[in-house]
Amino acid sequence: MSAVDLARLQFATTTSFHFLFVLLTLGLVTLLVVMQTRFTITGAPVHERMTRFWGRIYVINYALGIVTGIVMEFQFGLNWSGLATYAGDVFGAPLAMETLIAFFLESTFLGLWIFGWGRLNRWLHLALLYLTALTAFASAFWIMAANGFLQHPVGYRVDGNVLRLDDFGALLTNPTFTSALTHVVFAAITVGGVFMTGVSAYHFIKRTPEVDFFRRSLRMGVVTTALATPALIGAGFAQFPVIAKFQPDKTEAAPWIGAPLGFMILIGMGLTMVSWLTLPLLVKDAVIRMRFPLYLMVIGIPFPFVAAIFGWMFREIGRQPWLVYGLLRTEDAVSHVDASQILLSLIVFTFLFLVLACVDWVLIARAVRRGPDVAPAPVSPMVVTL
Amino acid sequence: METLWLTVLGVLTVGYFALAGFDYGTGLLLPFRGREVSLRRMNPFFLGNEVWLVAAIGVLFAAFPRLEGELLSGAHSTFTLVLAGLVLFMAAVQLRLWWWLVFTGALMVSVGWGLFLAHLLHAPWPVAFVMPVLFAVHGWVFQTRRWKLFPVTALLCALPIPLAFSSIDVTGLMAHDDTLGLLAWVAIPIIPLVVLVQWSIVAISSR
Repeated sequence: MSAVDLARLQFATTTSFHFLFVLLTLGLVTLLVVMQTRFTITGAPVHERMTRFWGRIYVINYALGIVTGIVMEFQFGLNWSGLATYAGDVFGAPLAMETLIAFFLESTFLGLWIFGWGRLNRWLHLALLYLTALTAFASAFWIMAANGFLQHPVGYRVDGNVLRLDDFGALLTNPTFTSALTHVVFAAITVGGVFMTGVSAYHFIKRTPEVDFFRRSLRMGVVTTALATPALIGAGFAQFPVIAKFQPDKTEAAPWIGAPLGFMILIGMGLTMVSWLTLPLLVKDAVIRMRFPLYLMVIGIPFPFVAAIFGWMFREIGRQPWLVYGLLRTEDAVSHVDASQILLSLIVFTFLFLVLACVDWVLIARAVRRGPDVAPAPVSPMVVTL
Repeated sequence: METLWLTVLGVLTVGYFALAGFDYGTGLLLPFRGREVSLRRMNPFFLGNEVWLVAAIGVLFAAFPRLEGELLSGAHSTFTLVLAGLVLFMAAVQLRLWWWLVFTGALMVSVGWGLFLAHLLHAPWPVAFVMPVLFAVHGWVFQTRRWKLFPVTALLCALPIPLAFSSIDVTGLMAHDDTLGLLAWVAIPIIPLVVLVQWSIVAISSR
């Protein structure tokens, strides 16, 4: 394999792993906002315990997800130096906004939320979670703005052999950005809903004594999924006219590119149908007493993750052979490094990410199995004492 | 503009190394010290440093686009070592299964940064050991709570790489003023805000 093939494979691997963490982070933080708001207003212990239990899973996932994000960020410079050289003035702006306004602040607010548990005023503590959620979505906003530029470059002028930033506003109204951002946000909320449903179902399968706790969680998961999936599908289909206009040859980029797209749509439709069918079964806990749907809910957890990866495959592979559509070819952007160096880093990171995904799985499973605490114990110090 | 952005980059890099130094130092000293206590003392600071690194690389990309790629890809294998060490260190600290994985991760990151220092200075590879030694000393100062020495060792960890970096001539490698002006509005207020909130985290967790 050539350096460009290896670098592409590495980018695909890193991004895919990273995005799995991102989806769950964004999905869970949205649900946590609802839970903690209810706790702060009502003061009911069940909402506090829900915030704590789901918050712990969220923190585990966040802390390990950061690592994949760091590798992701370095990768632009390591393997794709041509991108920064040529388009860094424009593409770099939203990317730097993401690191500064979004990630830098998000992690810091989250840190204070973790260590401020039970030590800060209730409303102040809630405000920190709102800020964390807000900056998390800001992160998605800027990353999608950067990616939208790669799909359909706008707001630039050519200056010699580099691009210059001409109109920053154009980057934020780019149709390939706005339509995709909505799609990604609802995908994350769907992941949150499906995950919460599945984990709650697992506890009912295990005949949990925490009936009230997991009944509420399961309902919240199902309702979230039912509300998010139609919007997800709507935002998905809304992208086809945009693609037809700006990337008419997208479906011909690779002969098999229709397959992941098809599977993604199938999973999306399936989740919509199943979640709406489950809604009436929430009455009098029918779905819990029937038991067999519980198994389907657990099996369902990986599906929205898989669908999201398929979606990205279509979006990114469909852009080829361009890195910046119509302006910079992928093969021209790869760094001048030896293929063997890229191969080495590809092997090292793929191995480490597999380990990381397993660690995430083990730690989350451990937290899930332990269930909600009867006696309140602090969520923090980080994931370590869980 | 040039001075401003070199300062921003310098502050972020110094922030990272000053905060990361005693994390990695703690990891390096694990074979010789009480592991439970050492790691617990590190808790409130854990992950606090990586955000500075991410911000620094973001600024490097946007403000110095013609430099970022050359700098990183020019030391490809060194950064593979640094990043692999980071992944290992962060995962191992959280998993807490085998302490020697924490040690190995810390060793890989610090030797990696040492190799990068040697690369920047065009110095022979044994210079790489400067960084692990400095981190270990800083970690020891932190663990034994010698707070008077702490700012000194923090600076010793923080300064070598930014100083070595300052030997690079950035003329012509920076982004256009249109991009830099826009980013300045964001970068300048955010840094003090993060410092304030991180300070609160430490203050609140030691209560």
